[in-house]
Amino acid sequence: MNLVRAELERLAARRFVQLMVVLLAVAFAVTVVTTLGGSHRPTEVELSRAQSQAADEVRRLELAHDRCLRIKAGTLTPDENDYLPRDCAQIDPAQSEQLPTASDYLSGVFVFAKEAKPLLYFLIAFLALFGFLVGASYIGADLNSGGVVNLLLWRPRRPTVFAAKLGTLLGGLLGLSVLASVAYLGAFWLIGQASGLTGRMSGEFWAGLGAVWARGVVLVLLAAALGFAVATLGRHTSAALGTVAAYVVVWELGARLVFQILQVGRPDRFMLSSYLGAWLAGQVRFWDDNACSTGISGFCDGSYTVGWPAGLVVLVGLTAALVAAAFAVFRRRDLI
Amino acid sequence: MSAVIEIAGLRKTFRTLRHGRRVAVDDFHMLVEAGQVHGFLGPNGSGKTTTLRALLGLVRPDAGQMHVLGARSPERLPDVAGRVGAIVESPQFFGNFTAHRTLRLLALAGGVPTSRVDEVLEQVGLRDRGEERVKGYSLGMKQRLAVASALLKRPELLILDEPANGLDPAGIREMRDLTRALAASGVTVLLSSHILAEIQLICDHVTIVSRGRRVAYGRVDEVLAGFDQHQWRVRVAEPEPAALLLGRAGLSVAGHADHLVVTGVEDPEVISRTLGEQGMWVRELVPLRPDLESVFLELTGGDEHVAVPRQVDGAPAYDGVIDLDVRGSREVDA
Repeated sequence: MNLVRAELERLAARRFVQLMVVLLAVAFAVTVVTTLGGSHRPTEVELSRAQSQAADEVRRLELAHDRCLRIKAGTLTPDENDYLPRDCAQIDPAQSEQLPTASDYLSGVFVFAKEAKPLLYFLIAFLALFGFLVGASYIGADLNSGGVVNLLLWRPRRPTVFAAKLGTLLGGLLGLSVLASVAYLGAFWLIGQASGLTGRMSGEFWAGLGAVWARGVVLVLLAAALGFAVATLGRHTSAALGTVAAYVVVWELGARLVFQILQVGRPDRFMLSSYLGAWLAGQVRFWDDNACSTGISGFCDGSYTVGWPAGLVVLVGLTAALVAAAFAVFRRRDLI
Repeated sequence: MSAVIEIAGLRKTFRTLRHGRRVAVDDFHMLVEAGQVHGFLGPNGSGKTTTLRALLGLVRPDAGQMHVLGARSPERLPDVAGRVGAIVESPQFFGNFTAHRTLRLLALAGGVPTSRVDEVLEQVGLRDRGEERVKGYSLGMKQRLAVASALLKRPELLILDEPANGLDPAGIREMRDLTRALAASGVTVLLSSHILAEIQLICDHVTIVSRGRRVAYGRVDEVLAGFDQHQWRVRVAEPEPAALLLGRAGLSVAGHADHLVVTGVEDPEVISRTLGEQGMWVRELVPLRPDLESVFLELTGGDEHVAVPRQVDGAPAYDGVIDLDVRGSREVDA
């Protein structure tokens, strides 16, 4: 417990960590201030006009759906402006996940329910970057500067030291993520209350937001563990940064290009970014260029999806493998 | 006396892609007993730091057995780590942390009362600079901080690797006094250093290592006695006839510009009587005792003055000039 306390204090006292927290606070403050400056509480007139615009749009969608059904039934001749999907249910407003609402037609009004998800994605992206960099530098700088050697002279149990460092990192990051999320979303909710609209915050909204948050926090922790593991293997912070840069250039860009030239089917399956997106968004749909290119006549759906379970398995599997490798290397490595 | 450090048959090889295989320590033995101030000498790259790192569980030996305070290292090292204070080479600290915070975190991690921090800062002379950031410290101050970190635990065994690095003469003297005070209080000290005069002043026992192997060990005075050739420097008014006279008397004499060196004489009376009987009066008769430096240089092959610089691994400057055969270790047991 003492070791964890000492490590937590060491982590919090690191200049890099403090700098990143300040950056987070600055980004947070800038976003809040600009949002606050660009938003106002809608007047009754603005609100009723927006509501009527939304109602008009819903009515237009209903009409389009009705026309689709009638055209399919042969009771109406289509004109050139008609959009006719294979199944009219696709444009059925009753089945739509998100119908137009008044908030869509309010200009200069911050609506919390509408903006919460994109704001949360921004926070997650920042925290994931923060986690990766802090994770890498925490162990990388310690290995490089002799801090680990100092510690091992006091606690010559390498598994304990490794676990304490990783555990402290993940625990600290989880705490920071929770605090930052609450402060961040809370501030924007207050802006919605005071100088905009909170919007329709049903149970479904909170469940969706909660799911994104939970997946985001898992991603932040995985990024930190990944940075920690790669820096441990490479004995240096820059090893982690270099590995990520090399991966992006060589695999995500280079190999994707090669797959394209070789016309490999579904190349996105081989990209980590696909699983990252799938995990964060719940599901991502990709289009396979090769699926419909050879000898298929008529309708061809070349799309395929990657869901969050696959994303979770790949991301956790990769991180676990790297952490296990880092642990094995840390246990046996000569510290010279 | 009980053994505090025992090393038997230690071997460590480093392998790198670039340089291949390099034997750092080979069949190395060491014994440090309780209460000793034990000097650990060797040229650069001779394996001192590798030995200490292996002893402290920082590198994995290929072979050999090591015990620290009776516990097998590295397996049982955690059992005795709280009783061992160590600095290995020049420890690095986070520049942005103050000395006080650095020590407090170590104390916290090691379960030592944080009240010890002020005590050890006082002990190493950093009391008034403890709240300054380490990055502003001189090399000597960092070295003091390193020693302070080793003292935090009130160790029974103190392992200091080059503690005088970067210290000014006053600092070296303070370090010497500190080491003596610790030894007087019952702490066993293993001191690795290049400052041979310091080792001779502080240490009662010594182990000398060259190219990864022990070449001498024992009490300092006995190690030195083992190399005593019973030489005397003799000054007379007329050196040449004096040399002839001493030679005729069966003594081994070497002539120098203004003096003679007579070797192999235990009692100097022989010299003065031989010369006096022929009316030659001795102006100066001084014993030439070996010091640790001359012994060290002789044992480690550094006493040859050649135009080609010696290499850190102890490789000879050029073949046939420096004999670095260290397989037959010279043992002077206490």
